[in-house]
Amino acid sequence: MSGHKNSEFVAPLKTAKGHGSAHEGAEHWLQQKITALAQIPLVLWLIYSIIGLQGASYAEFTAWMGQPVNAILMIILISSVMLHAKLGAQVVVEDYISCGCLKMAKLIGMKIFFYGMAVACIFSVLKIAFIAGI
Amino acid sequence: MIMAEFTLPKNSKILKGEKIDVSNGGARPKTFNVYRWSPDDLDEAGEVKNPRIDAITIDLDKCGPMVLDALLYIKNNVDSSLTLRRSCREGICGSCAMNIDGTNTLACTKDIGDVKGDIKVTPLPHMPVVKDLVPDLNHMYAQYASIEPWMKSDTAAPTRERLQSESDSLVLNGSDGHGPAACILCFCCSTSCPSYWWNGDRFMGPAVLLQAYRWIADSRDDATGERLDQLEDPFRLYRCHTIMNCTNTCPKGLNPAKAIAEIKKMMVARH
Repeated sequence: MSGHKNSEFVAPLKTAKGHGSAHEGAEHWLQQKITALAQIPLVLWLIYSIIGLQGASYAEFTAWMGQPVNAILMIILISSVMLHAKLGAQVVVEDYISCGCLKMAKLIGMKIFFYGMAVACIFSVLKIAFIAGI
Repeated sequence: MIMAEFTLPKNSKILKGEKIDVSNGGARPKTFNVYRWSPDDLDEAGEVKNPRIDAITIDLDKCGPMVLDALLYIKNNVDSSLTLRRSCREGICGSCAMNIDGTNTLACTKDIGDVKGDIKVTPLPHMPVVKDLVPDLNHMYAQYASIEPWMKSDTAAPTRERLQSESDSLVLNGSDGHGPAACILCFCCSTSCPSYWWNGDRFMGPAVLLQAYRWIADSRDDATGERLDQLEDPFRLYRCHTIMNCTNTCPKGLNPAKAIAEIKKMMVARH
């Protein structure tokens, strides 16, 4: 954004209008709310499960993860958490980074990081689930 | 600049100013710590001097009950160069908005008795200062103009006023008189909003969004979709993170945060 530097001859209305509206943001806002709400039951389920798995052996844990309901809920939880984290981190970068080039680099890097994390976590769950299921 | 600035630039550091006591041993002395800065105030090297806080003690028996009365007493009797905006002195013009005792409010409706100890008076936060307590509001006025704050309708102009039901008018006026139409555009809310401080160049801020809602919610205006289109933007609208300083500070008791929430709900409803 060009901002209002050296704007002696630029009408304030031009600065205020800027590059116009991006016509987006509602989706981002809605996804953030939905993922936040989804995590309430999912995290309660996770806490309940962890308590139930106290003292479990590796074989018991992988067998638990191998159950379709547990594997599916775990994948939904991971997707929801990673999407929520990505949306939140994006807002933090947009809020506090004012240097244009660095901002774009951070936004792209951050997206790659969270999507990469999501893929790695989901792959791990699937690997355990499918091996345990054999 | 890579990240947000955490320290003030050298020429913005606020220094201690003069101590002036004109209470003359009066019964009710009160000290006002007033922000002073003038672009015409130069040091020996010809550089503009840093802002300073002057501590001025007056006798409250000699002036009216509000902070504005005290500031005008100081201007009339202590230092005529003290610069501030004021007009109606009854909370309806919004000119004397400033930060008093750490909160943005109107000097004319802020009771001196509400503040214990010394009263610090500074301009509205995070705005360029023109002089003393006068901030530069040009950008905010331009943002207000950008939402086209007037009635838009494609229906033929009637031969009389465009009518509105009582319940529709309550959306604008509020059943308690605290609806969005009661906003006086003092900008206490926008200048109290951290999100507006960081991204005020693109974020509309609570005052302008409250006014945008005032037109979106008007039953006589049919540019609702166009108005929502113009606001649907990660910065213009969605920099609002419901911090709620706006509603907390509004000297008229209005609720800009609720108006912004209503706009966000409309955005989702039309998805």
